[in-house]
Amino acid sequence: MQLAETASERALADEVRAFLAREDFHSEQLPHELDERMAVLKRWQAACYEAGFVGRAWPAEFGGGGRPPVEQIVVDQELAAAGGPEFVNVVGLGVLGPSLLRFGNDDQRRRYIPPILSAEEIWCQGFSEPEAGSDLASLRTRAVQDGDTFVISGQKTWVSWGQYAALCGVLARTDESVPRHRGISMLIVDVSSPGVEVRPMTQITGHAEFSELFLDDVVVPRENLLGELGDGWRIAMYTLGHERGTAALPRQVKLRTWLDRAVSVAARREIDGRPLLEDPEAQRGLARALIGIEVLRHHAYRTVGEFLSGGAVGPESSSVKLLMSEAEQRLAETVLDVLGPTLLSGDRDDVPENDFWYETYLYSRAASVYGGTRQIQRDIIADRVLALPKE
Amino acid sequence: MDLELSDEQVWIEESVNTLLDRHWPPAERAWQAGEAERTRLWESLVEFGLFGGSAHGQLGAIELCLVARAVGGHLASVPLLGSLAVRNAVAPVAAELPDGFAAVLGGDSRVSVALLEPGRDWSISDTSASMNSTRLTGTKAAVEHAAAIDHLAVVAVADGQPGLALVAAGSPGIEVTPQSALDAGVPLSRVTFADAEVEGVLEGELGETVIDRLTTVGGLLAAAEAVGAAGALFAQAREYASERRQFGRTIASNQALRHLMADLHVRQASSWSTTLFAAAALDDGISGAHQTASVAKAYVSRAAREVAHGSIQVFGGIAFTEEHPAHRFLRRIIMREQQFGDAAHHERQIGRALAAAASRVAA
Repeated sequence: MQLAETASERALADEVRAFLAREDFHSEQLPHELDERMAVLKRWQAACYEAGFVGRAWPAEFGGGGRPPVEQIVVDQELAAAGGPEFVNVVGLGVLGPSLLRFGNDDQRRRYIPPILSAEEIWCQGFSEPEAGSDLASLRTRAVQDGDTFVISGQKTWVSWGQYAALCGVLARTDESVPRHRGISMLIVDVSSPGVEVRPMTQITGHAEFSELFLDDVVVPRENLLGELGDGWRIAMYTLGHERGTAALPRQVKLRTWLDRAVSVAARREIDGRPLLEDPEAQRGLARALIGIEVLRHHAYRTVGEFLSGGAVGPESSSVKLLMSEAEQRLAETVLDVLGPTLLSGDRDDVPENDFWYETYLYSRAASVYGGTRQIQRDIIADRVLALPKE
Repeated sequence: MDLELSDEQVWIEESVNTLLDRHWPPAERAWQAGEAERTRLWESLVEFGLFGGSAHGQLGAIELCLVARAVGGHLASVPLLGSLAVRNAVAPVAAELPDGFAAVLGGDSRVSVALLEPGRDWSISDTSASMNSTRLTGTKAAVEHAAAIDHLAVVAVADGQPGLALVAAGSPGIEVTPQSALDAGVPLSRVTFADAEVEGVLEGELGETVIDRLTTVGGLLAAAEAVGAAGALFAQAREYASERRQFGRTIASNQALRHLMADLHVRQASSWSTTLFAAAALDDGISGAHQTASVAKAYVSRAAREVAHGSIQVFGGIAFTEEHPAHRFLRRIIMREQQFGDAAHHERQIGRALAAAASRVAA
């Protein structure tokens, strides 16, 4: 075990910092209006890809960097630490791209992977349905084979960035006659196809980062099948585990920058003429938030360590997911507690900062729901890590 | 960056576990172990090379934590924590050590740390014991195995600055009074020094550096031992839940218990991650390593307790009986939680550090 950076890791971190200094861009500068925001985020990911910072460990023959995975970790952490926005093609990079690499054929990889990396084509995932949330395997969207095509009908929900996506990975039932987990397939759907309708949904934060997706007799060529017929469930489980395992490292850096921001706000704002940060209770609350973030980092490192040395991202990624939602929610709640009545002062100068913390707080409630609820993660650990009997 | 344990590290833990299986009573009887068992275990650890020999040179904080985890899992009790922590603390400054120190720590002397004072906290600034280059006066509490050690490593103030003294156990002027303790397996004593003779003193900057590292490593070893104890108890609870039947089904098939145990697993696994990470940071001389150790000690102090409580809940009434080993593990976990600063102590420290850093930025 060796935490110290190697010379090449240090050189890479310097390279990222030099890039950041040139670009001079961070999250706070993002436009509020969603279309403009999306355009800026796409340009940002394209610039990062151009610099070699996206898909660094993905195979070179499909547009990736072909470098060791640890380098992507170094890059992600440097970008996040500098306040760079997260890559906007998050579903492509975290979910469908890894699935294509693992289960796709070479034609599919050549066609789809490079524009995922460059954010030229935004991806979304059509997994959940109104009646199939945590119980994903009960999904009802159907894909019927018709010669060289599939015809898909159904309704999907929680489709992140659906209104901006060019492509969607859709889980659909292709066989009603087999046990429900085995009759599901994964199909790549062009969102501009006739019969696809996307309706943005507004979240509790006021933003519309996700959509509903309606599929009405959408015709998809057979070559858009990912893996074999009936592989859908297996692919979905692989990719969700992958997402949970790798998302934590950049996320913890982001949480750390938020904690530092909270500390400096608490040092600036006063109640009864005393800085909030002088209150020992505030100090201890922030300390506990920091501990949550640090332990997330330590545990993610150890889990990813297994992944880096060639092991698959296994069910232990559910532990990381639980720690991640816990750390994020603890931080957000702590900041509300620490800032307390200063959030209500009506001081105009405080409005942007207050809005940021309100939004962060509201958003944090999703952390224990998306990507498999807290309860689903516990089920995964009980089944697959602890191997507890079911009856 | 390499985040995997090496083969040698895995081998060290396996060997120590084998040795504990062989030379220490099983957990349910471990609290009854007397001087004979302790001496036998100590000698086998010395023979293994924890204090010299081929394995010795490779023992960094990671390896020591692996050893401490094994000790905790077996509820073993020898004056190991102090003996290992003191040696690790002086290792980076080995060349600058006064003769007395070098001679004692070069051998297999059993050493306990005397830091905490009655009515005070674990902060070094709370020290009131005082010393000069030859004599030491003061009172220390919660000294482990004080009746069966060779030396005491005592934190005391010299010329207004905290330093570390090495004192031979049993020297004139030392009075050892056994204290009541939660964990009968680890005897604690109050030790009074009245003009006691010292064998060596680390003062000034050197003393401060060594004490900093001593409390850091000590805290990590206490955490690792708690992780070991919590892991062993949780493993038993999981096994029990998978066999015990009520309402015609195993109790582990109930979602309430499945989710409880999933949470305990997360606490247990992440406790070990943070302990190992902090140890690696210390070994690699990463900046902020002492604060990382503080994070680990704070987290494990709460988490190991949570794992013990949850495991006892899984067992139900049987774990509330004296004959069941659950409370032995709980006692060890709470005792280690209190050593080198509990969660509240470290949370306060980390909070103060955050505030201090913010005011430096503002200034």
